[in-house]
Amino acid sequence: MKTGKIADIIQRLGVILVYIVLWMPIIILVVMSFSNHAIGLRWQGFTLQWYVQVLNTSKAMEALKNSLFISAVATVVSTIGGTLGAYGLYKYKFRGRGALRMSVLLPITIPYVVTAATLLLFFTQVVRIPLGYISIIIAHITFSAPLAVFIVLGRMARVDWTLEEASADLGAGKLTTWRKVIAPVLLPAILISAALIFPWSFNDFTITYFVAGVGTMTLPIYIFSLMQYSMTPVVINAISSIFVVLPIIGLLLVTFLQRKETA
Amino acid sequence: MKDRQSRPCVELRKVVKRFPGVIAVDHVDLEIEQGKIFTLLGPSGCGKTTALRLVAGLETLDEGDILIDGKVMNDIPPHKRNCSTVFQSLALFPHMTVEGNIAYGLERRKTPKNEIRKAVGEMLALVGLVGMEKRRPSQLSGGQRQRVAVARSLVLKPRVLLLDEPLAALDRKLRKEMQVELKRIQGEVGITFLYVTHDQKEALAISDTIAVMRAGKLEQAGAPDEIYNTPRTKFIADFMGATNILSGKVIATGDGKLQLETDSGLQVIALHNEDKGSNEITGISVHPELIELLPSDAGLQGGNRFKGKVIEMIYQGDFIETKISLRQTGELLTAHFPSRLDMVTRLSPGEEVLIHWNPKSSNTLLA
Amino acid sequence: MQMVKFLSKQVHLPYVGPVGLWVIIFVIIPMGVAVYLSFVQAGSHGQIIHEFTIGNYRALFTGERLMILARSLQYAVVTNIVCLLIGYPLAYWIVRHGGRFKFLLLGLMIVPSWISQLLRLYALRRLGGDPGIINSILLGLGVISSPLKMLFNPTAVVFGLIYTWLPFMMLPIYASLEGLDESLLEASVDLGATPLNRFFTVTLPLTKGGVFAGTILCLIPAFGDWLSPLILGGDRVLMAGSLVRLYFINVGNFPLGAAVAVILTAAVLLMIYIFIKLGGEEAVERLV
Repeated sequence: MKTGKIADIIQRLGVILVYIVLWMPIIILVVMSFSNHAIGLRWQGFTLQWYVQVLNTSKAMEALKNSLFISAVATVVSTIGGTLGAYGLYKYKFRGRGALRMSVLLPITIPYVVTAATLLLFFTQVVRIPLGYISIIIAHITFSAPLAVFIVLGRMARVDWTLEEASADLGAGKLTTWRKVIAPVLLPAILISAALIFPWSFNDFTITYFVAGVGTMTLPIYIFSLMQYSMTPVVINAISSIFVVLPIIGLLLVTFLQRKETA
Repeated sequence: MKDRQSRPCVELRKVVKRFPGVIAVDHVDLEIEQGKIFTLLGPSGCGKTTALRLVAGLETLDEGDILIDGKVMNDIPPHKRNCSTVFQSLALFPHMTVEGNIAYGLERRKTPKNEIRKAVGEMLALVGLVGMEKRRPSQLSGGQRQRVAVARSLVLKPRVLLLDEPLAALDRKLRKEMQVELKRIQGEVGITFLYVTHDQKEALAISDTIAVMRAGKLEQAGAPDEIYNTPRTKFIADFMGATNILSGKVIATGDGKLQLETDSGLQVIALHNEDKGSNEITGISVHPELIELLPSDAGLQGGNRFKGKVIEMIYQGDFIETKISLRQTGELLTAHFPSRLDMVTRLSPGEEVLIHWNPKSSNTLLA
Repeated sequence: MQMVKFLSKQVHLPYVGPVGLWVIIFVIIPMGVAVYLSFVQAGSHGQIIHEFTIGNYRALFTGERLMILARSLQYAVVTNIVCLLIGYPLAYWIVRHGGRFKFLLLGLMIVPSWISQLLRLYALRRLGGDPGIINSILLGLGVISSPLKMLFNPTAVVFGLIYTWLPFMMLPIYASLEGLDESLLEASVDLGATPLNRFFTVTLPLTKGGVFAGTILCLIPAFGDWLSPLILGGDRVLMAGSLVRLYFINVGNFPLGAAVAVILTAAVLLMIYIFIKLGGEEAVERLV
């Protein structure tokens, strides 16, 4: 079947093409960050000077610290709150259950700008929360908790809940049951939520930009400011590479762990 | 030039199918008569489902030929062979109604709408689902879904209907009902059925011909009573429930009978069939229900009478499954004694009994 | 006393309480504030004049601004369609022919979505800009004599949108394709369907949920996106999200910005409603 073979090859090429287009810009960014040529695009030699420069820039380091702190807090709070929320939504029937389910979806179904803008309104007009760490963390949690809720909710349907009953039957209090039975069983979903929320929060720009105010800088905001005012794009490349390499390492780690589990 | 009636509907000639590390179908030769129910019977992994899928065209064979109506079908894709499959999981389209499911194949053939409606109506009547057209599979019971699956395939009037353990998911009572239903439907429609099952009772109930498979090979094919009463091998005997298998050698023949000495030292009498050479015989098998209980004072004359001790009795309703340990050799025989007999109900484990079977009741084994 | 009794019966509260409270405080109330503000106007010094007026909406539904809103929808729809046309076949291919590489290919699609949109668009700008990498290469090879102007037009912006949101379209579709019962596909072939038949009568209908989810995750964010217009369009191409940013951050006209936000929300909720009616309640069940 000759036509079968040709069609097959074309399909393969198509798939490869999509991935190349997807990754090419990123790869170039990373490669260029090692280039000796400051502004232009020609390769003039391998260098790590840009990375060194980044490490020496206090603003960059501060932005990095801020990002890590904010994302860590947001991830932890979102994941815990989301898990509890998912548990409650799944196990209990109460008035307003449907409404709650729908509204939890809200922050991620309407455009990010809207949620970010309304939060800005809220912070400035209603509650007078200073724009800074707190406002950013609140915003990030608002966006990530729904994700945690739905990932954990999805997992809850596939859990054997007689385990929980057995635990109670054997005399364990609620807290103990949580510690020993429920949390371990939900752990994969919790970890996946965290694994999705942290990078999302770390990388976020569009929302943080709205609620960050003047004083606080996260890494993406720092990069944005560099983009607007700086003349050394290569420094940006260096920072970007960190953003790129970390997820890749994460992916490799997960792949490795998965292989181990199935082996 | 054979005419359609005498030529087999489906033929497998030395068909081989290999998967990595295993030969699923090992040089199988089969002839399936037109208009009959032909069953492939065997334990899991014996190759029966693979054989069915080869006929359907859902797998491609490695060696040999598959013919439908005398035409070689090896390279022809499934939708161009004139056969239709009822899958084990039924594979009813969840997003279509009963009507939609049954009409599916006809729509693919671009049959005019009014003809489709007529054909679907006839099918619903045939399988007993009139009034259910607009329901979805999720709203049907197991038995009803079964019927839709059969209707969906039958409406296309295939030369062969292939059924892959269709009743496996049903409970016992429903399964028995559906067996009767399927036989009735087949009788009315007259289409050849190729049926696959691991349940020997089902095979006996439904089939015109049974072919027992094991490890990819065809062990024996024949009418149900042949397979049940005269299995050729220990495997088939055991599989069909003739669980009393005594291996041994023929030591004397004469008068239409033969005398067999078992490996354990028992002397048994069996009938001598001409078509089984006495030096080919490797043992005998006896169905549990053919072992009789004799009064304990009846004596040992007359052949095939053995003393033993009752080890276990399990009540099964119309019979009591009794395990008896023979005094002479200690081997265990299983008997199904009718529970209506006083003699039987008075028995209890530990008691001594005298059992017997008629030489006619045993079957000589070739392997 | 009665309050305590009542509260103790609400076993679900400790679990859904935090989330519920959070949603009320940080989602519902802010939304309410936005709706309120959209009906008032900003004074000359930026303070709020608490008088009911529909002036903001009138301003937005005329001329240039209306065009921007309409074009945003257009770009978002185009983005969605292209992402679907790329994402569906891609997911289909990976499910059927991916084999050992399924996980890797999936990962390679997910990872870019973990990288900041800011950076990805920035990379695109470096590629296509003037000066940019593509231009340097082409000029260097002599293929062109003067640089191509690839950026600062709607096409570039839409390309950026597609580039950003493709993974979000593909993943739900992949999930629904993976979950497709193999025996249903076999049955359809057995009953006489050609591969094309099988796709339209079995595969597509059964993956509607995935397409629906993918659309929600692609079209709506694209609609409100303001980063792509900014970075690849140089703010010469404005979208609805750009307006929000403009009024909230640059100009400081909160009421006007709130009005844009309300319009966006209403439009999105309307779209979702239409989708549910088209896609059926089953699609929602599968999501929620």
